[in-house]
Amino acid sequence: MSAEPQPRAEPFRLRGANFNLLVLRLLDARIDAVVPALGDQFKRAPGFLRFAPVVIGLGDLAVPPAEMDFVALVRELKALEIVAIGTTGGTPELRQAAIAAGLPPLRQSGGDEAAPSSAPAAPATAPVNPPPAPLAPSGLRPTMIVDQPVRAGQRVWAQGADMIVTSTVNAGAEVIADGNIHVYGALRGRAIAGGADNLGARIFAQNFDPELVSIAGFYAVREGLGKAPIGRATQVRLAGESLRFDPFGA
Amino acid sequence: MAQVVVITSGKGGVGKTTSSAAIATGLAQRGKKTVVIDFDVGLRNLDLIMGVERRVVFDIVNVIQGEAKLNQALIRDKRVENLAILPASQTRDKDALTKEGVQIIIEELSKEYDYVICDSPAGIEKGALLALYFADQAIVVTNPEVSSVRDSDRILGVLQSKSKRAEEKREPVKEHLLVTRYDPARVERGEMLKLEDIQEILAIPLLGVVPESESVLRASNTGTPVILDAESPAGLAYGDAVARFLGEERPHRFLEVEKKGLFKRLFGGRAA
Repeated sequence: MSAEPQPRAEPFRLRGANFNLLVLRLLDARIDAVVPALGDQFKRAPGFLRFAPVVIGLGDLAVPPAEMDFVALVRELKALEIVAIGTTGGTPELRQAAIAAGLPPLRQSGGDEAAPSSAPAAPATAPVNPPPAPLAPSGLRPTMIVDQPVRAGQRVWAQGADMIVTSTVNAGAEVIADGNIHVYGALRGRAIAGGADNLGARIFAQNFDPELVSIAGFYAVREGLGKAPIGRATQVRLAGESLRFDPFGA
Repeated sequence: MAQVVVITSGKGGVGKTTSSAAIATGLAQRGKKTVVIDFDVGLRNLDLIMGVERRVVFDIVNVIQGEAKLNQALIRDKRVENLAILPASQTRDKDALTKEGVQIIIEELSKEYDYVICDSPAGIEKGALLALYFADQAIVVTNPEVSSVRDSDRILGVLQSKSKRAEEKREPVKEHLLVTRYDPARVERGEMLKLEDIQEILAIPLLGVVPESESVLRASNTGTPVILDAESPAGLAYGDAVARFLGEERPHRFLEVEKKGLFKRLFGGRAA
């Protein structure tokens, strides 16, 4: 049996979408001042923001474009595993220099740093929302995937995102996500989902055996989990002001 | 270039020094030039277990502070060829150890030896961090007990973030699990963690299981590494572990309760 591949009616679709992106607002044009400071900050939170897209905020820079080496900036950020995808704000000259380095200006929807209308709109990049101060339950960043066991004393934080742990979260370890948490191994440590206000966040664990679970600040310690399906595939969600534990799967 | 191997655990009293002495001796028996360093400055024990405490003149702190040459501080073992011990200081504290000093010592030893075994102190403070910092491989010693497994888990996290290999983003430290003081009878009664449970939590390859054995205490009190006691199950288990460490395939033994024969049952013989 040989089936002709069905030709699709259209090869692509172009749709607008909103993304929450981090803006890296430069306060100093010297890359050798910015990058080490940034590196220091990320050293304290390894894994945090890995390959996260960021927008370079130029609004606070008052330097001629000759003093700003965008090509070097992109390269140095990449070395820190941070991907610059565009710029926002700044003088038209700075923006032009950034375009030459492959960083298109992004328009902030509803923001005051709007790029001029004459600037060519980048077709591949979507409009940018203001940086997420408190994270809306919608607009989450790409899911953080953790492939190593999270070990006692380790703490992993998926800022503004969901987290998937393909291995286990061991006792004494802590996983924190502003979105949902999925643990495909055993959850034996602490799982804190939903950040401060994401009441709809849930925790899923293939083998549910935690020290503490928390959703949007409502938490339960192990002692209070007498009725929870310990050792089974379990999902935790918020029902009113208390946590609800339901087995899932077969 | 030598392989630098740290023997570590997080928790104290699980058998790091016993294991360091046994594994270093085992490697030397198999013709590998081996040196074992005691990093437990202030609580030195390795020299006792290796039976060389009466031959200590200088120690690692003397070498770091330039008061003695490395060769003056090294003690060559009299029973096994190819084996040397660098003792810890009894009178200083851990602050006497510096990263630069340890690096110079390890680099120097690497030129002459095949294996540099670092016997780590307990804890995750400076001494333990320095013992693991330069490691290429780590043997994590764990007892079948919840707190020991937890601390081993913690030290594995430290290895993955604070070792030199981790800092330089090179290939990670190769990790091995060594379960010691394993008592199959108590495991069967549910008083001890099962081997499978430990492996499931720590999720690193198993190097060996050393059974709880009276011969270990006897060996340390007489200053003879237990691996030299070919009669004892613990000594045999360490022998297996060393063989596996060097790439040999060996089946795991001493995992099941030994069936006592009628004779032993009648006369209450105990496994030595």
